[in-house]
Amino acid sequence: MTASNSVPEPVEGLGRPIQGVTLYSFTRAFHGREYDLEGLIRKVAADGYGPGLEIIGFSSFRGFPEIDDRFAGWFRDLVDEVGLVTTSLAINADIGIHRDRLLNQDELIAYMRRQIAAAAALGFPIARVQISITPDSMEALAPIAEEYGVTLALEVHADQYASHPRILALRDRYERVGSPFLGFTADWGATVTGFAPSLIEAYRRRGASEELLGKVTDLWNEFYEQGPPADQADHGQRFGRFIALAAENGRPDLGIDFGINGTGLFGPARVDDWLEIMPWIKHVHGKFFGIDENGEEPSVPVRDLVRLLVENGYDGAISSEYEGWHWNHWQSPFEIIAGEQAVQRSAAQAAGSRMITDAATARTQLAAWLPRTEGVHA
Amino acid sequence: MIPDRIIEPGTLTTDGSRVAVEVRIPWYRALPASCIAGAKLTVDGVEAPAESLRWRMNGQERAFADMVDDTDSWWFPLDSAVLSGEVALPADAGEHRVEVGLTLYIPYIVIGENEVLHIEEHDAKTMPLREAQEVAA
Repeated sequence: MTASNSVPEPVEGLGRPIQGVTLYSFTRAFHGREYDLEGLIRKVAADGYGPGLEIIGFSSFRGFPEIDDRFAGWFRDLVDEVGLVTTSLAINADIGIHRDRLLNQDELIAYMRRQIAAAAALGFPIARVQISITPDSMEALAPIAEEYGVTLALEVHADQYASHPRILALRDRYERVGSPFLGFTADWGATVTGFAPSLIEAYRRRGASEELLGKVTDLWNEFYEQGPPADQADHGQRFGRFIALAAENGRPDLGIDFGINGTGLFGPARVDDWLEIMPWIKHVHGKFFGIDENGEEPSVPVRDLVRLLVENGYDGAISSEYEGWHWNHWQSPFEIIAGEQAVQRSAAQAAGSRMITDAATARTQLAAWLPRTEGVHA
Repeated sequence: MIPDRIIEPGTLTTDGSRVAVEVRIPWYRALPASCIAGAKLTVDGVEAPAESLRWRMNGQERAFADMVDDTDSWWFPLDSAVLSGEVALPADAGEHRVEVGLTLYIPYIVIGENEVLHIEEHDAKTMPLREAQEVAA
């Protein structure tokens, strides 16, 4: 660190999360053909959203999970050239791909193996997997993860949360299996403190009355006071309350939207719920929905979440994951994401540490943070 | 998720008995042909009969029923597919109201025993006919 740099060296034992972004944040720009994959990666680097780079395989790579050597080489050279660091490849357990039946265990393992191999070929040390993978399947995937040197980080996402029975069952299985290649991705959407104001604004633009919007916010706040849903039945009841609210107020067309977002995007667990699985958190989705006029995220407690990670020694990456693009078509995502990352950096400093924003440090730190293949099997 | 982009503006064509329009995936990631379950195509209030609908993707044109078992051909988020069906439309210079509904299965969201989430998305746009081109059979 140079003398002119005003950021103090962090206190020993505190984490230094690596700043980064998932290209999912730019879905509308990519889908709208404003940027192709190379253009978007170059913009991420040039505008300083990295160094961490997360990509969804089935979103960004044509023909995924088939990745030939030539393409993999091109991709890795591009990432190196622009000074980014590949963190997590988001992969999918398409258990229902046959529509009329679910994949059996052997089929699922084979399906995931191809994607884990793709992660390794593309240079991603982590593969994000989803809740549809059971503890049995995670156990079966552990040797494949070790074979490819790719950590599997199952995403904890609303309407689940760290202390949800399904997540604790996975945690307990990880503990028993003992593979360092099994972990979690913590999605901040599980620990939200309010119904996103930008979504309220979107409903306003769709003609919802102020009275109805007030009731939507009140209902979400009621659920927040109660804490996260105990189980799927509780979750279903809350979903139903949102639908009923819309119907009772003359806007049945908004009911499912209220329910999906109110329960599936804005999870009402408390920030310290993450402590239940903290040692297994290998990657973080810095999920957020907007930045207000004060430069703060009004419904995701970004500062508290960064502090929690710093104080618990988290040295992995935080992929800023902007989800407001679903409804916010009136603002560019790029400035909003820059705003959220500024909050993260400020929060890390306030907690006595800092975010890693240079590629060389990020690369070294991520390598030390994640397990290595050597020595896993004697 | 991205229903406002389903219909590609300016892509309506007809050969007099069939109409075709380019459509974009209203989802953030690629889906296989097996998960593209069906569509509705309506022009100026006239809906194409379901049995007349065809789907062209990755150079292959098929009925939806013929895609159920295809888990190898993917609808990539940047690619337009072509939805066509029987609607008699005069080749005039006026504006036409095009409506498209899509039923898609989301293969990683399991909502019950042997049940996968499906979504129904809809878009409507008004556009003139594109200069006469061959319409998919």
